[in-house]
Amino acid sequence: MAEQPVTERPASGPPSGRPAAADGAWHRVHPLTPAVKSWSALVVVLVVIAQEFGREAVGGSGGSSSDGGGGPGEAPFDIRDLGGGVLAGGTALVALVVLLAVGFAWLSWRMTRYRLTDEALELHQGVLSRRQRAARIDRLQAVDVVQPLVARIFGLARLNVEVAGSGDSKIELAYLTHDQAIGLRAHLLARAAGVTYSTTEAPEAPEHAVFELPVQRLLGSVVLSGAFVTAVVGGLGLVVGAGVAAAFGAPFGSAFAGVFPMALAVGGILWSRFTNGFGFRVASSPDGVRLRHGLLEQRSQTVPPGRVQAVRLRQPLLWRRPGWWNVRVNVAGYGAGGEQQGEGETTLLPVADRNEALLVLSMVVPDLGVAPGEDPRWLVGTAMDGAGPDGGFVTAPREARWLDPFAWRRTGYRVTDEVLLVRRGWLHREVDVVPHARTQSLGVRQGPVQRRLGLATFAVHSTPGPVAPVVPHLSSAQAAALLAEQSVRARAARLAAGPERWMAGPGDDLTPGPERADPADPGGPAAPAAPAADGPPPTAAS
Amino acid sequence: MSEHPASPRAAEPFEPDGVRWSAVSPRLASARRVSGCVPLAVLGLGCAVAALVVPWSQFWLPAGFFLAATVWTWWLAGRQAAAWAYAEQEDDLLVRSGIMFRRIVVVPYGRMQFVDVHAGPVDRLFRIARVQLHTASAASDAAIPGLPPEEAARLRDRLSSRGQSRLAGL
Repeated sequence: MAEQPVTERPASGPPSGRPAAADGAWHRVHPLTPAVKSWSALVVVLVVIAQEFGREAVGGSGGSSSDGGGGPGEAPFDIRDLGGGVLAGGTALVALVVLLAVGFAWLSWRMTRYRLTDEALELHQGVLSRRQRAARIDRLQAVDVVQPLVARIFGLARLNVEVAGSGDSKIELAYLTHDQAIGLRAHLLARAAGVTYSTTEAPEAPEHAVFELPVQRLLGSVVLSGAFVTAVVGGLGLVVGAGVAAAFGAPFGSAFAGVFPMALAVGGILWSRFTNGFGFRVASSPDGVRLRHGLLEQRSQTVPPGRVQAVRLRQPLLWRRPGWWNVRVNVAGYGAGGEQQGEGETTLLPVADRNEALLVLSMVVPDLGVAPGEDPRWLVGTAMDGAGPDGGFVTAPREARWLDPFAWRRTGYRVTDEVLLVRRGWLHREVDVVPHARTQSLGVRQGPVQRRLGLATFAVHSTPGPVAPVVPHLSSAQAAALLAEQSVRARAARLAAGPERWMAGPGDDLTPGPERADPADPGGPAAPAAPAADGPPPTAAS
Repeated sequence: MSEHPASPRAAEPFEPDGVRWSAVSPRLASARRVSGCVPLAVLGLGCAVAALVVPWSQFWLPAGFFLAATVWTWWLAGRQAAAWAYAEQEDDLLVRSGIMFRRIVVVPYGRMQFVDVHAGPVDRLFRIARVQLHTASAASDAAIPGLPPEEAARLRDRLSSRGQSRLAGL
């Protein structure tokens, strides 16, 4: 890597020993990247080559052709009967294909380069169609270090830098050595936070372990899931049914063939839930919440303060006895991927007890803005398993029972100075927490039946993700009042929001965030108070 | 815009105090009628012709269905177009739509990410355009169809400048 012109050291930074220092120069990703990215294809090719060489060694000595099914594309012909010339031709063809593939992989590796400047992370990619992408560091939403199994074997890692955008908006640096990825992450977070440092290596923020998921509880949570119970009940029913059918002369196994794909799908869901949650650890640091998890593919996520747009605490029916909760979040950028990917990224706690859930909630939403003398833990507790007006909740009116006969008593919302708490669900309990400062827009809907009953559904629009905060079937007057009040509160909270660079004090915020650009901002008293209100220090101290 | 009959109790969330609503162009109804009714009417008339040509066939059934759907779409397009309204407030854009299924969206200018102005071929025929405000949320669907092009351009520029002056981070 060092002999390439792209890695020349610029004058701006002193030469450092680390290969991926954030010195503003262009760097290449690790040379093994193509192999790790296309390892499955590589294995096929290697097998085919091995078979070809094996045949060549055996020569025309015949033998059984039972092992002749190598690759469908490369070696579909039965060569041995045709003599040595064709054999050599086939080998040459395979060699040519492999050479082309290797050449292309090498080119694509050579064309991939990245650099980290003071403002942005830039990535250039592509051989035929080229892509250059630059992400502003002050727009950074989350940084993930991901290690798929094969990358882990080689000590490599992928760095995913999420910025808020619609669709695929992240920058993926694949693959770096694990140390490089960690070092680059530290640089990115330090610059995004506004920390100034004179060393060539960014200081890694200290962290404090908060939560570790025991594997027994993870297994328990998978067993006590709706999918698992349905699968077991369905499977038992199927066996009994097949037995009865067999008694009447039908072949016993015939019933199973039809449900096999379904069983496979359910098994896949449960397996991914297990591997995603395996070894789940949460730590707090000044850079925000750090999550580590994964059995085969290990993921280490960092979500800086103020980047969590909304939180959902959820308790399925079967988790009520053990008192477990699932916590998921909306982070801009995370929700944009596929459904499967989103599930791995947006989970803050796969399964936690009540205290752990409350603790982690207080990390991502440090200030619940409760009334003086009110206990925030008690308030969230009433949201978790309360009903009716306790905890100051505004509940759905009695008319809502026609549309929602069971859950209407629990449906309700509570507004504090900082957040909107929404309580929902009868069998599956749900609590949504949305900071006013993170509200995107608001909406009210009303169908014909709701209109007859004088009801309306209120919604807060958050960034894409698992949390869609909705208060169904409020009275029209409540919905109208909430709509008017929330838009005022959200506006005030936006103006008072802290800086995007969470470690920068109000004084050394030399490049002002967009909030500061607002001339209408009554800067004086609000500005110094804001970072203290939702900055990281209380989190770090916990 | 606020003439359609509604009980005062039910109208509350959709009639905020002190908001002056602007209606969209009545040409929106015509555009929707053309794009919705023409295919249905063609299908219906085709079936009717087939029913006349082939005696004792069952083509009357689909013909009746499609023609009824044409009339219904005609009626619905007028009703829905009349229900679209928007209001530019000090800090937010309000968009309201629907009569059976009513909806109101409040989008703060500071949350705006970008504005789309879109006009399809039928829209251009009737000289209307659709302005859509995008935030970081996919759920905040603040679209105003059926604006005259010059009004759409004015609204786009106005929204952009207001978004600029009230810009907030995520």
